[in-house]
Amino acid sequence: MADEQAANGKPPDPMEAFREMRDTYLDAWAKAMVETVNTDAYAKSSGTVLDTYLSASSPFREAVEKAMLRVLEQLSMPSRADFISLADRVNNIEMRLDDMDAKLDRIVNVLIKPVTAAGKRSPKPAVSGIQNKRKAKGAQ
Amino acid sequence: MADTAVVTDPFTDLVVKLNAFNKAVTTRTTIAQTPKELVWALNKAKLYRYVPVVPKEKRHPVPLLMVFALMNRPYILDLRPGHSFVEFMVNSGYDLYLLDWGAPGPEDKNLKFDDYTLEYMPRAIRKLKAVSGVEEFSLLGWCIGAILTTIYAALRPDDGLRNLILLTAPLDFSNKEAITFARWTDERFFDVDKVLGTFGNMPGEMIDYGAKALKPVENYVVNYLKLWDNIDNPQVIEAWQAMNTWVTDNIPLAGGVFRQLIVDLYRNDRLMQGQMMIRGERVDLSRLRANLLTVIAEGDHITPPCQSKAILSKVSSKDKELFSVPGGHIGIMAGSGANKRTWPKIDNWLGPRSK
Repeated sequence: MADEQAANGKPPDPMEAFREMRDTYLDAWAKAMVETVNTDAYAKSSGTVLDTYLSASSPFREAVEKAMLRVLEQLSMPSRADFISLADRVNNIEMRLDDMDAKLDRIVNVLIKPVTAAGKRSPKPAVSGIQNKRKAKGAQ
Repeated sequence: MADTAVVTDPFTDLVVKLNAFNKAVTTRTTIAQTPKELVWALNKAKLYRYVPVVPKEKRHPVPLLMVFALMNRPYILDLRPGHSFVEFMVNSGYDLYLLDWGAPGPEDKNLKFDDYTLEYMPRAIRKLKAVSGVEEFSLLGWCIGAILTTIYAALRPDDGLRNLILLTAPLDFSNKEAITFARWTDERFFDVDKVLGTFGNMPGEMIDYGAKALKPVENYVVNYLKLWDNIDNPQVIEAWQAMNTWVTDNIPLAGGVFRQLIVDLYRNDRLMQGQMMIRGERVDLSRLRANLLTVIAEGDHITPPCQSKAILSKVSSKDKELFSVPGGHIGIMAGSGANKRTWPKIDNWLGPRSK
C-alpha cells in the first residue's frame, strides 16, 4: 500500500466511481432543468411568485416609508427624495462643466493650430527644437 | 493543501477540506490590477485609460474603447494578472480605454439607452479623442455594452468610429423560443412597471438570480462541487475565487434602461425591425458603416447565438465578419481558453485595422 502511494504520489481514491456516477446524474439533471425553466409554465409560476411578493410587501413598505418620512421631518433631516433631488442637480452641474470643458478644448485647439502651422512655415532651429520636445511631451 | 494527502483521519481530512472550502467561498480576491488612470468622469460613469507598456511609435495609432454591460462590473475584462484581456491588449500595443458605467443610484432610475448612447458615450469619446490626440477610434461592446455600441454606431456613423467589435451581442429578439429571458419577461407573466414601481432600478440580486436560473444546476450545484473536487489545487481555487468575486459583485440596472430592454427589445424586437427610437431619432442599422467583428459564444445561454447573427445582414459595413467560439457568455472572454482563441482573434482582426 505504501509502495503504491509512493508510486502514484496519491492514495487510490475509492470515491472515483461515485464521483463519475454523480457527474452523470448531474448532467442529466442539468439538461432537464434547462428545459424546465424554458417553458411557459415556469415563466408563469415565477412571474406569479414575484407578483405576489411585490403585492404582499407593498403595504408594509409604504407604511415604513411614511413613518420614516415623518421621523426625518421631525428631526429636520433630509429625506431620500431630497437626496435624489440634490443628486439630480449635481449631475446637471457636472453636465454643464463637461460642456464647458468641451468648449475650452475647442478654443485651445483653434488657438494652438494656427501657431503650430506658423511654426512649421518659418522654423527657427533652436525654437523649433524646443517646440518639438514640447509637442512630443504633450503627445505622451 | 498538499498536507491533506497524508492525513489519515477522515474527519480531520473533512474539517481541513471544509475550512479550505469556506475560505475559498468567502474570500474576495484582488482583481483589476492592470494600471490605469482616470481621464473623465460624469455622474457614476468613469473613463479610464490603461497605462501603455509599448512605446508610442510601436503602438497601434487608433485607440480602443471598451464598453461593458450596464449591470455587471467591467473588471471581468481585467480579472487577474496573466488572465486578463486588458493586460493582453495593452501588451499587444493598443491604446486602451474603458468606460465604466458604475452603479446607478435611485436618482438614476430614469436613465435610458437614450442617455447612455447620446449623452454619456459621445462625451466620453470626445475626451478619448482629446487624450489620445486622434480622431478615429474603435469600440468593443460586450453584452448590453454591445447594444449600446451598436445604437451609438448607427446613430453617429460620422463620429470617427472605424472598427466595432461586438461580443455576445443581444440584438435580434425575433426567435422567442430560443431566448429564455424573452419567455420569462413576456407581458403575460412579467409586470415590468410593477417591478420598477417597487424598486426604481432593477436590483442586481434579481438580475443575478435571473442569469443563474437559466442554468440552475450548473450555477447552484456544479459550480460548488467543482470547487470541492479541486480544493487541493491552488490554481483552480485562485481562478474560482476571482470569478466568484466578479459574479457576486452585482449592481442594479437603471429602471429606464430595464424598461426599454424588456418592452422595446425582448418583447417587440424594435432594434432589428428598425423601429427603435432614441431621442426622436430612429436607429437605422443600415447607417452603421464601421468595420464589424461580431463574436458569438456557441454555448451561450444568456445571449443565444441566434441573437447576434442578423446584425451582419442589416449593416452597411463592407468589412464584416462573424467569429464563432466554443464556450459560454462569459467563458469566451474570461475562461481558461480565452487567451488561446478569442483574444488572439480580436487582436489579429483589430491590429491591421488600427493602423
